[in-house]
Amino acid sequence: MKTCEKCRLQVAGNRQFCPLCQAELTGEGDPEQEAFPKIPTVYRQHTLFFRVLLFCSIAGGVVALALNFMLPQSGWWSLFVLLGLGCTWASLAIAVRKRGNIPKNLLYQVVLISLLAALWDWVTGWRGWSIDYVVPLVCICAMVAMSVLARVLRLRIQDYMIYLCIDAVFGIVPIVFFLTGVLRVVYPALICVAGSLISLAALLVFEGQNMLLELKKRLHL
Amino acid sequence: MKPRKTLEWTRLDNAAKIFPSNSNKRDTKVFRFSCELNEPVDPEVLQVAVDKTLGEFPMYRSVMKRGLFWYYFEASDRKPVVKPEDEPPCGPLYNADIKGLLFEVSYYRNRINLEVYHALSDGTGALQFLRVLAYHYLTMKHAALFSGGRLPVMDYDASFSQKKDDSFQKYSGKPREKEKKKRVSAYRIKGQKLSEHRLRVIEGVLPVGAAIEKAHAYGATLSVFFTAVLMCAIHADMAARAEKRPVVITVPVNLRNYFYSVSARNFFSVINVAYDFANGDGQLSDVIRQVARSFREELTAERLKNRMDELSSIEHNVFARITPLVIKDVCLHIAHDYTNRGITAALSNIGKIEMPEALCPFIRQFDVFVSTDKLQVCMCSFGDKLTLSFTSPFVSTDVQMQFFRMLTYMGIPVTIVSNQIDEE
Repeated sequence: MKTCEKCRLQVAGNRQFCPLCQAELTGEGDPEQEAFPKIPTVYRQHTLFFRVLLFCSIAGGVVALALNFMLPQSGWWSLFVLLGLGCTWASLAIAVRKRGNIPKNLLYQVVLISLLAALWDWVTGWRGWSIDYVVPLVCICAMVAMSVLARVLRLRIQDYMIYLCIDAVFGIVPIVFFLTGVLRVVYPALICVAGSLISLAALLVFEGQNMLLELKKRLHL
Repeated sequence: MKPRKTLEWTRLDNAAKIFPSNSNKRDTKVFRFSCELNEPVDPEVLQVAVDKTLGEFPMYRSVMKRGLFWYYFEASDRKPVVKPEDEPPCGPLYNADIKGLLFEVSYYRNRINLEVYHALSDGTGALQFLRVLAYHYLTMKHAALFSGGRLPVMDYDASFSQKKDDSFQKYSGKPREKEKKKRVSAYRIKGQKLSEHRLRVIEGVLPVGAAIEKAHAYGATLSVFFTAVLMCAIHADMAARAEKRPVVITVPVNLRNYFYSVSARNFFSVINVAYDFANGDGQLSDVIRQVARSFREELTAERLKNRMDELSSIEHNVFARITPLVIKDVCLHIAHDYTNRGITAALSNIGKIEMPEALCPFIRQFDVFVSTDKLQVCMCSFGDKLTLSFTSPFVSTDVQMQFFRMLTYMGIPVTIVSNQIDEE
């Protein structure tokens, strides 16, 4: 026990300075009395990697813009560079932030990639490839990935059921494109819708009770 | 197909609902109770004791999840693992993406630490858990002493459903009259904060008798006395210009003292006590008089019930209920900020902690503290030791210094225990 003459009190442990007034302590200390372990500062290394990546993206974007302004006759291609960087970062941000919950991560990616694909398709003069191929394919891939990952990671059905269900419902949406006749290639969309319906049916038939319970929990008011 | 047990789920209680939307790295809404023994902790026995205690507190076997409208607890089969303390105190326990249990037991030398996420339980509830844990640990560790029918009896008596009871639901009704409160904007402590969202913990241990004697000399209870001392300590550190704002201390109140409940979940309310140093003389005796008056006025079953009714009517409002959680999070965050603007610091008195007499010789002291983004004092006593624990995110320790110097200059002996911050 050491003593602080200024505060007129005892300080446990073997500190050199008073934790209250930072004056030098007197007396014999006993390091055994420390009530808390010393926990060193953690330097987060991965943030440096992301910082470098982010810096390179910004630098690349600025260089592209500058070059584009120097060569205006080459068209406004730099906007595509910027859009591409933005899309990559949006997807990466979700992937990193939701890394603890893989099924949720997959679902978020499905929605994001579908929307971004539609955006790209639209800005490049709507050739329909996003709804012909991208939307149906990401839906199917996500469903397959969730089923496989559930096995590999030994997820409990309660933990991914809801995401699989939402993905399957999302996967039925291409039927609207099919019925309104906006599709140029119908196979991926039909496979996606059929796959989604089968997944939903499987969920309802085998896990109907749990599904209901899960919905009740998640939707309680 | 294997039959599967359906997972039980529970709503959050009224007080718990504010925490998930407002817990972040800086203010994790995690609090810690420690029990310091007179001997080093044996991790293996502690692990068995934790498993045993968990069996008696089924609510603690929960994870928290997001619904579309509200958060909820879901039963989990995760096993708590006792570990040596290797992280800063009161670190985050709730992570939206990694579902873990909402409490943690660690040990360091002679100390058993229980950290609990506030949505799960309040101080009184968690204290019951720690008491039962310490009971199991000590009776197993010293089994030879307690064999042959000499096992001490634990005085906590509550059934599973009583422990899980949401007492807010039980006691709150329709609010009768709306209290008109003038909004005060309180003085707020500012300053540089510690890096890495660290929390500074400074505990003062003092003899209960000396503290009670001093408090009684002023005709005050311990809570009133220390609230007043805290106000004066904050005042001593205030710029003259800041005096135009009152110092407001928020004091959590254990509602179990007013409405019968043995729940191990949240059942507390808060009262705010203000002192305006611009208009008062600022002497300790005057501050005590003012604080004692506020305590008398606020701490009545009627006032507390009224407040409880008001808060529960907000929760049960149709529009509040059908608002999606994403929006609720934002609203609750704004509401929390708004309330915080009227608060300078907090003082929480857990009171006297009792253990079966046969176990007391093994226990040196209990202490409690909580994460905060302001300044918070938690106090509890065990035997003849009173522990006052300050937590704050600030680099400066001036308020703590003023506070403890006021006590030592009155002749109360104080021993300081603190955590070690890297920069020092």
